[in-house]
Amino acid sequence: MSIPSLPFCIELGYNKHMILLEYEAKKILKDSSTPTPKGYTASVKIAPQTVELPLPVVIKSQVPTGGRGKLGGIKLASTQEEFTAYSNTISKLSIKNFTPSTLLIEEALNIDRELYLSLRIDRSSESIELLAHQNGGVEIEENAAESFFRFSLSEAPTLAQGEALAEFYDLESHSFALQEMLKNLYSCFVENDATLIEINPLILTKEGELVAGDCKMTLDDSAAFRHPEWSFEAGQAESNFVTLNSDGQVATIANGAGLAMATVDAVSASGLTPANFLDIGGGASAESVLEAFKSILEYKNVQAIVINIFAGITRCDEVAKAIITAKSQLTHLPPLFIRLAGTNYLEAKALLDAENIPLLPTLNDCLAAAKKEIAHV
Amino acid sequence: MFNSIQNVIVQGITGSQGQFHTKAMIEAGTNIVAGTSPSKAGSTIEEVPVYSSIKDILQDFTVDASVIFVPAAQTKGAILEAIEADIPLIICITEGVPIHDMLFIKKKLKALGENAPQLVGPNSPGVLIPGKQRFGIIPHAMGLTGNAGIVSRSGTLTYETMAGLTERGIGQKYVIGIGGDPIRGTNFIDCLSLFENDPDVTSIVMIGEIGGTDEQTAANYIKTHVTKPVYGYIAGHAAPAGVQLGHAGAILGSDSESASVKTHYLKRQGITVADSITELVALVK
Repeated sequence: MSIPSLPFCIELGYNKHMILLEYEAKKILKDSSTPTPKGYTASVKIAPQTVELPLPVVIKSQVPTGGRGKLGGIKLASTQEEFTAYSNTISKLSIKNFTPSTLLIEEALNIDRELYLSLRIDRSSESIELLAHQNGGVEIEENAAESFFRFSLSEAPTLAQGEALAEFYDLESHSFALQEMLKNLYSCFVENDATLIEINPLILTKEGELVAGDCKMTLDDSAAFRHPEWSFEAGQAESNFVTLNSDGQVATIANGAGLAMATVDAVSASGLTPANFLDIGGGASAESVLEAFKSILEYKNVQAIVINIFAGITRCDEVAKAIITAKSQLTHLPPLFIRLAGTNYLEAKALLDAENIPLLPTLNDCLAAAKKEIAHV
Repeated sequence: MFNSIQNVIVQGITGSQGQFHTKAMIEAGTNIVAGTSPSKAGSTIEEVPVYSSIKDILQDFTVDASVIFVPAAQTKGAILEAIEADIPLIICITEGVPIHDMLFIKKKLKALGENAPQLVGPNSPGVLIPGKQRFGIIPHAMGLTGNAGIVSRSGTLTYETMAGLTERGIGQKYVIGIGGDPIRGTNFIDCLSLFENDPDVTSIVMIGEIGGTDEQTAANYIKTHVTKPVYGYIAGHAAPAGVQLGHAGAILGSDSESASVKTHYLKRQGITVADSITELVALVK
């Protein structure tokens, strides 16, 4: 069995997970007694001019994406002049369309070795899984899946597991430190409702200390109700509305992730270009549907909107009310091709009939009608 | 697993979803004997008595199944209450349950081994046996009694497929939504085994989606254990790589989790796989 998604987990995560910035993740690590480099943050609004740590220091752009080092988002400053110059450039540097609001300034470590250590939730074993590699760093993805050391943690890690990790790293002299680190990381993962904690690299300094050089962390947004302390820059990763092609011809609105995906698939299979994926969710209200229409109006090329609702928890009449409001409030709304089924269908039909808004019996009918409309235009 | 169920309770019966679907479940033929609500014990919903706990219900009734509608923050407690009360079938409709809560519950279920109850969900639409029983929110009016077994990760695709088959005159023995979360109770294989071993079932429909590798595991099981015809569809062909579309479980993470790779894998195991939901409905015999 392969571990295809391992070092790339940061790109995946779970639905509505929060992707933390490095400094936010490191603060959580530090609070859980995992060693992090000495450092402080500065706002890019007042690009820092004076160094608050002994030189040299590392200046790191705080953006929610990987590979920033290669793109100039991390610089080592050995002099005051370099510090000022790099702070100014990094503050303005856009990395994969993200510009930082915050810079992290850290002591430069004397690196002896760079290791890899992560905890994530493994779907197949339904437990927390530890992954480790002797060669950490930016090229971690190049390592063969088999060369990773991995084990499941359904309970807090044992001392023997810490020792095994030390042996794998070829760092038996650090058994105690690794046992402590594992124990602290595990409680950090559980207590913070984390879905991923990836320390890469885990640095062994020439002084013999293990320090988290960089950290990617994602937290389960579903657990926000028990974390009043959560307040992060990046906020929540929104996944219910996804642009597939901003020049697409057909916008879609559906309920439930599965039906929304199937609707997009069907638009595509019929030879049309879908602009977006949109799941208005279970229990969608008239307001949320109206918001969806507004987002769709941002696409300039859309010539048809396909609405495909099969209501279980959602109620068709709520969707119908939103459609009626949208039609009356929003000008330049492309033609709608609507299929509704399920809970409160008859109530919805009565509402739409009164406004002369037609319903189509199936998704196929909607697609056929949309195709005709687009050919006509 | 579902056929011997008689007395059913609803946890969270006084909430708006709980009330609405209690009424619908009764209409569909389910014998709802009681419900729970921590603050409204003594009242009734649709003539069903409300208790403050399952323990209290067990004083007056035997209970075969519980359908859970409580808010996500209370779901872990609600499932544990049902497990501790030895309810054999627990169906959790609630969505947005923290993943660590599910890890905890799965650990508990594994520790119980053979004695563990059957948990369906969370984030599941439940189970419908057309003409007989409804545990959850699957719109029963769209079902038709018959011989197909439907299992799906997505609620809405469950409805869509069921309605499509009904329109074609193909009835269903079981319609099961196992839920879209990455960590869940009942899985594809539990349902495939149920369908294979029930002589009433003559065809099987399995709907998967991008993310995870459960469909491949199910396909391996089908190859070795299932003799009945299986029709499949994997949702998410048009999803761009690296984008997650809505479901907690549907994450297009790596090649092996994409719709095209899954489709190809299922085909290699001898399963008839459609490229769209409408094609799927047309394929089933």
